[in-house]
Amino acid sequence: MNRRVYLDHNASTPIHPEVLAEMLPYFSEVFGNPSSIHTFGRDAREGVERARERVARFLGVSPQEVVFTSGGTESDNFGVKGLAYGRGKGHLITSSVEHHAVLRACQALEAQGFDVTYVGVDEYGIVDPDDVRRAIRPDTIAISIMHANSEVGSLQPITAIGRIAREHGVPLHVDAVQTFGKIAIDLDAFGIDALSFSGHKIYGPKGVAGLWIRKGTRMVAIQHGGEHERRRRAGTENVPGIVGLGKAAEIRGRDMHAEAERLTVLRNRLIDGVRDRVPDVRLSGHPTERLPGTASLLFRHVESESIVLGLDLKGIGVSAGSACTSGNVELSHVLVAMGVPLEWAIGAVRCSLGGSTTAEDIEYVIECIEPLVRKLRQAMPAGVA
Amino acid sequence: MRYSPTLVDHFLNPRNAGLMRAPDGVGEDEYAGCGDLTRFFLRVRDGRAVEVRFQTYGCGPTIAAASAASELCQGRPVDDLCQLKAEEIERILEWLPDDRKHAAEVAAGALRAAARDHLSRRRRDV
Repeated sequence: MNRRVYLDHNASTPIHPEVLAEMLPYFSEVFGNPSSIHTFGRDAREGVERARERVARFLGVSPQEVVFTSGGTESDNFGVKGLAYGRGKGHLITSSVEHHAVLRACQALEAQGFDVTYVGVDEYGIVDPDDVRRAIRPDTIAISIMHANSEVGSLQPITAIGRIAREHGVPLHVDAVQTFGKIAIDLDAFGIDALSFSGHKIYGPKGVAGLWIRKGTRMVAIQHGGEHERRRRAGTENVPGIVGLGKAAEIRGRDMHAEAERLTVLRNRLIDGVRDRVPDVRLSGHPTERLPGTASLLFRHVESESIVLGLDLKGIGVSAGSACTSGNVELSHVLVAMGVPLEWAIGAVRCSLGGSTTAEDIEYVIECIEPLVRKLRQAMPAGVA
Repeated sequence: MRYSPTLVDHFLNPRNAGLMRAPDGVGEDEYAGCGDLTRFFLRVRDGRAVEVRFQTYGCGPTIAAASAASELCQGRPVDDLCQLKAEEIERILEWLPDDRKHAAEVAAGALRAAARDHLSRRRRDV
């Protein structure tokens, strides 16, 4: 294997060395329970609260509005169910391209008697704010729309959706796991009431995330136990993880804008380079309204896992848009919602760039993709898909 | 677990991939519920497969399994190929994860179908 190129930053990122350095003492020297009142506990509490302040500063909010959780999935469940349970019954609006953490939380609510409308998307995977407006009913109690889609990278018109939510007095939860620390989020301008974010997508640790809840928003805890997190999320805090998330957020405040500019250039070069060399390939998602580092490519008449394996053997890590698990081909629900034809959807490959990605990496990936796809197509009966 | 070097080699350098003009037997198999599909073409002389070609649509292990199977059945009696088991193909590839076992099953199923197709053509000719 000549070279190793990691282009799966939407799945996870390596921990930033400054983050790791900040976390390490909290595994050994500062091990106390932050709820304890002795010095051991108070030192751990100090780490947790400093992290809360850093996240709050990054988001431009009050630290009391930040709740730490165990991951993006918990944050999404908390955001959606917390708003729903806070109102007892009624109707929610979400989109058909949300992460499964939101979609399945909504399905669970439906099983409990709530109504849910799943608004569709256009060919770019983008929600029409007017569809959200039309879906609002007198009993609508919450809207949950993601900021950016992890698979195709398209950005949703959150400002317009937030304005509609405000006009109707409906709280808006936004899954920002893929945008927090990557692009600017103006919570007031966007009209957001609850925001999910995660640590390991921004060079922080896995197993830690957060939910920002706007002060005054009626929200019911979904995990019960002790009095942690101002009684909003029971369970002893993951102190090293929280410390890491706080440091990661601080670093993103420093590095985010420059990195976004750099990744946009590299992403466009990757898209253009592959399209110039490989026939029958197209970009999925919006051409410009997208995450800086995400390029989702559709290779017609090739199976995406064979591309992932072929690139893996060249030291390149990308992810497949469709997965064949236990004998079932699982087409991405996002591509299905976008109306992408099967013969294209089955060959979806996502490349997500990050801090370590260089221009040389991108040229290497472009060089590797062309002969691989050509060879795979030779063995494929055209038009089978 | 990583795929064996043999599997990787068959995936990267598939043997006998492509179409065959005027084959003596054609068969295909598709894994239920999955998009994976393999098609085999046989040229038969004196009851034995003397040339084998395949086309496949699927993930890496499926391509590798078809390629390995195409070598495996070279020169074998067609009657034998009607009984071909997926395990025989999997043994060549050394190992397949549980969720990729179907790669060998699809290849074996397609080869058995091609062998049966040849036998039924021969019966029609008699």
